[in-house]
Amino acid sequence: MAKLPTDIPTIVSQFGPSLHRVPPGGWEQTGEDEKQVKTHCCFCGQQCGIQLRVRNNKVVGFEPWEDFPFNKGKLCPKGVKRYMQDEHPDRLKTPLQRAEGKGYEPLSWDAAMTRVVSEIQRIQSTFGKDAFGILSGASLTNEKAYLMGKFARVAMQTANIDYNGRLCMVSAGAASKKVFGVDRSANPWSDIPKAKVILVAGANVAECAPITTDYLWQARENGAKLIVLDPRMTPIARNADLFIPVRPGGDIGVFHGMMRIMIQRGWIDRAYIDNYTSGFDEYARVVEKYTPEYAAKIAGVPFDLIARAAEMWGPAPSSFLLHARGIEHHSKGVENCIAAIQLVLATGRLGREGCGYAMITGQGNGQGAREQGQKCDQLPGNRDISDPAARKYIAGVWDVPEESIPGKGLSAVPLVEAIHEGKIKGLLSICFNPTVSLPDANYIRAALEELEFYVNIDFFLSETARYADIVLPGSLMEEDEGTTTSVEGRVIRHRKVVTPPGEAREDWKIICEIAARLGKGEKFNYASPRDMFEELRVASKGGVSDYYGMTWERIDAENGIFWPCPEPGHPGTPRLYENKKFNHPDGRAHFYPVDWRPSVEMPDDEYPIILTTGRVVSHFLSGTQTRRIGALLDQYPQPRCEMHPRLAEKLGISDGDFVKVESRRGSVVVRAMIVKTIRPDTVFVPYHWPLGRSANNMTIRAIDPVSNIPEYKICAVKVSKAEAPTDPISQLGVEAGGVR
Amino acid sequence: MSERMFFIDHSRCIGCESCVQACAECDTHRGTSMIHLEVIQRSESVQTTPQVCMHCEDPICARVCPADAIKKTPDGVVQSSLKPRCIGCSNCVMSCPFGVPKYQAAIDQMMKCDMCYDRSSIGKKPMCATVCPSGALTFATMEEIQRTRRGIPINSWKFGGEEVRTKVYVMVPRTIERVDVELVQVTATPAPLPEDPYDVALMLEETI
Amino acid sequence: MAWGLIAAFAVVAAILFGSRGLRDFDPALVSYAGATVFAAFGLGYRYAMWLRRPPTRVYWFRGWEIFFNPKRLPSNIAHLTRIFWNNFFLQRFIERRSRMRWTAHWFLAWGCILAAAVTFPLSFGWVRFETARDSLNVYRAFMFGIPVGSFHLGTPIAELTFNILDISAVMVLIGVFFAMWRRGRDHGAMTVQQFSTDLLPLILLFAISITGLFLTASTHLMNGLHYGFLSQIHAVTVILTLLYLPFGKFFHIFQRPAQLGIDFYKQAGAEGPQAPCIRCGEAYTSRLHVDDLKAVQRALGIHYQMADGSHYQDVCPRCRRKNLALTQDGLWKAMSERGIN
Repeated sequence: MAKLPTDIPTIVSQFGPSLHRVPPGGWEQTGEDEKQVKTHCCFCGQQCGIQLRVRNNKVVGFEPWEDFPFNKGKLCPKGVKRYMQDEHPDRLKTPLQRAEGKGYEPLSWDAAMTRVVSEIQRIQSTFGKDAFGILSGASLTNEKAYLMGKFARVAMQTANIDYNGRLCMVSAGAASKKVFGVDRSANPWSDIPKAKVILVAGANVAECAPITTDYLWQARENGAKLIVLDPRMTPIARNADLFIPVRPGGDIGVFHGMMRIMIQRGWIDRAYIDNYTSGFDEYARVVEKYTPEYAAKIAGVPFDLIARAAEMWGPAPSSFLLHARGIEHHSKGVENCIAAIQLVLATGRLGREGCGYAMITGQGNGQGAREQGQKCDQLPGNRDISDPAARKYIAGVWDVPEESIPGKGLSAVPLVEAIHEGKIKGLLSICFNPTVSLPDANYIRAALEELEFYVNIDFFLSETARYADIVLPGSLMEEDEGTTTSVEGRVIRHRKVVTPPGEAREDWKIICEIAARLGKGEKFNYASPRDMFEELRVASKGGVSDYYGMTWERIDAENGIFWPCPEPGHPGTPRLYENKKFNHPDGRAHFYPVDWRPSVEMPDDEYPIILTTGRVVSHFLSGTQTRRIGALLDQYPQPRCEMHPRLAEKLGISDGDFVKVESRRGSVVVRAMIVKTIRPDTVFVPYHWPLGRSANNMTIRAIDPVSNIPEYKICAVKVSKAEAPTDPISQLGVEAGGVR
Repeated sequence: MSERMFFIDHSRCIGCESCVQACAECDTHRGTSMIHLEVIQRSESVQTTPQVCMHCEDPICARVCPADAIKKTPDGVVQSSLKPRCIGCSNCVMSCPFGVPKYQAAIDQMMKCDMCYDRSSIGKKPMCATVCPSGALTFATMEEIQRTRRGIPINSWKFGGEEVRTKVYVMVPRTIERVDVELVQVTATPAPLPEDPYDVALMLEETI
Repeated sequence: MAWGLIAAFAVVAAILFGSRGLRDFDPALVSYAGATVFAAFGLGYRYAMWLRRPPTRVYWFRGWEIFFNPKRLPSNIAHLTRIFWNNFFLQRFIERRSRMRWTAHWFLAWGCILAAAVTFPLSFGWVRFETARDSLNVYRAFMFGIPVGSFHLGTPIAELTFNILDISAVMVLIGVFFAMWRRGRDHGAMTVQQFSTDLLPLILLFAISITGLFLTASTHLMNGLHYGFLSQIHAVTVILTLLYLPFGKFFHIFQRPAQLGIDFYKQAGAEGPQAPCIRCGEAYTSRLHVDDLKAVQRALGIHYQMADGSHYQDVCPRCRRKNLALTQDGLWKAMSERGIN
């Protein structure tokens, strides 16, 4: 049913990706603006403040917002050129339905909605409520994330809702929850420049969270030492005091190797450990195993580097840990994060100025979108869906019987596997492009072909939307209003800048109408996102991420409020754990005796090289937005395979050669980029491109048992020199998956 | 508030090209980026560098201009070539010690960084120095810079026998009084095979 | 100074010769002729001063040398014709900067050229019209005293001849309108424009055109009302503009043709040997250009010789930027290696 309606080049010629390069009215138009609207960047979790310039209900440019405290006007290239997605020729402006052999044809909203609702009802009545799944996104506002969770549980009554934050933040979140009982960065970013040593573990800050760079450099100006763990020498690693080129998946070797020295040398805070934590002894016993030889073997670096890291970190008066996908995208992602955080906890350098840790959220609302109940296992307020008290409270807020709220559903990867196996027949997705972003892309595409009905809500026809039966044109961030929660845990306001073009609608209106047509209108009777916020605020009351005391007015006036903010007038909580109280029943923080174990697929004779994947600075996630912006594409037009000259020499590959990178699951043909800045046993391919250029053709569909995050950062591949590809996909523009 | 000035710290650059993208949004040259962003030698290093016009006190570009087309404003900003005068000879492009002016073949004229004169002349920061996420480009008061940086700002350079003073400052360690420019290469000699099997650090080392 | 006097004398001589010893000279236009002589002095003086600048002199002489090189001359002339059409007649290079700017400039330039082509010969006494002896309806035109044609009143050619200044005035006004429109709306232009260099010339051209049109209006529509006064005002605007010619923005009219010389210079450079950068080894401009630049720099007292005997001019601009960053980064590296922070 859901095979592509026509060939890909035809679809691309109609819906792009195509490149937008010139603002409305042309570059020469430099007159006065009607208004400049203070809002935030739609891209990553840093959520930088930005002002959009408006003329004629069109976004014509940007102006830095220097008064916003997080970024003070700073922006990465994505932020600078983000306004080019407004007035884009690829923009979807009417509902579409698939037309066999032709592609897609417009239809009326009423016809589209009638079809969507009848298919939901048909599938759910034939195969059961859970046979219709929902995939949502972490770039949605808090209000929309809340709405999606409620829509799934109340309007559709399916257990199977999950979101693409599953590919991003869940390992970090789960680890923090296990250790401290709270899923949030412990400190505001303003603590970074005050630390005397900073450990950056698996975070390519310069490319994935560029604004954080200045915080790091500022710390160095203040005399801090910088330690960076990464298999690649990233731009911040170049200037680090210590760069540890750890082997992908070997991070625990470094963390535990450091801790063993720190215990031996007395660089831990015994009093803090005794008074405020539990489980240290079991942890210490595991750490004991990480002798210099063992730690070095696991980490894949000389022990000397680990020792130097311990000498910098151990005795420091203040310290800060930053971690991101590099240690999280593993089948042991949660354990990696726990091991890293324990370096913080054991020194007691937490909950005070210049001391603590943060996880660098990747997606726009990576923090907030995982708190409002659109995860398969959560209800609003970061509540566990299997906790009876939580169910009771939320049932009260929603005014539904507690037993009508479904239980825990499938997370993103298992959900797609259930589609592949025919257990889930129908899918609604919003703000998610899994054919590019999920691992083992060939499998994912095959799964989508199994669906009986698929409705996709998006503003561009993404590579995934090509499989849809109905596509509904939703809204860009600047076409709707609401709040997001930034990397710091700061709740901020996105303002409506322009109205959606053509027949496109605000996402929440689409969802609420489907709910109404499903007969649940009275539960989704919102006049605006503000109504949803008011309900969300109550739903989060008493939960971990408590927004109850917030109002939009206060958020505006105070440039954002940090949760928890449990009652009106509460100033918010920029820094957690100042009182050394942790969110476990015993009030203590917990150590865990995590131990290194191999990744699911280790290199072998047949596939002897490690593939690791990641981002480049000018693109965002699946690229469905940034591959449509000419200036950003020009900056990094197509994926390249980074490899060390020593490896290249062994394989007979020269810089710029086409190479085939191949795993047991799939391959890409891209050009080689031979650089000394990557480990010789590892190659790197960025993942923002689709089809024949998708790094996720190779990655493995293995997930962490606790967080269910996929193992993007390590799989086994072989690399060989290849001919220039000649298939039709390769001849497309690079923005659409071609290669040059 | 005392006057804000432009400070550059090449070593902070992360190569993100925000400056390049933002430069093209400046009204005096909208759609055309004037700033340079160089990748020093990607095969060896991830080092990158931005270069804005340093706005020399006695600009060599203006001195070698046959058409007398390069002018300095009273506040010391060296402007793009005067369009009626510039004859596109590229003398300035080839003579500038910092490699700043750009010859635009399509219009047969030189254009260069003018410190976003539409912005800086009315007290706003230049685009590049507003957005730069690394602080490699900063527009701030002398007092702010001295308070927040470990190095010192200097504006004195020497290229061979030629001493140059600039309006834009560069951040250097405290012992340095002038930047004496000699030719420096990133040498491409392969690192020796390490004795320790895990010593990938040595293999990743860049040598200057 | 000498060149100014020479230019002034040349104009005086041209007037004397062209008007057959002032026999064809129209005394009513003497103030115009006088101002022109003064402008010629100013232009000659300014041009000579300009040529004194070392870079200008090098390229001016080099340009002519290349142009008149016997081997290149035929192709040079062909090339000249081509760029004359594109750059002078159509002014395409301005269109590429901005269409609005081009529209304004094209109307301004051709309005002025047309007007100058009529008024200078008239005020110099090179051209005169008189009624034919046999018919009041026939006008005869003389150039340098030699009859060059005649036409009947009321014919299109007559209308054109009598109204050519009005046409040019309207063209100039269109150009002024577009230029003012642009300068009033374009943020970039508004930032860098200055009254004396960018707005004053437009005001002068506007004044000339509008007072000129008033003269026509006075003659044809108002039976010569205030004609004398208007013609004096018009004369004042023209004379002021003529006096402004050598000093302000209008000097580019005389300077700009140097671009053609640069064109030949670049061509000759491209055909000759190229200069490789001593840092990256890649050619970055012509040997000719680098050698001439070194000469210019010597004349200007710019000392790019390095201590090791190399010359900074031999480093390409890209390598200069890279080298600068490596130098600055190296200062920090040296610092941290010594353990001082």
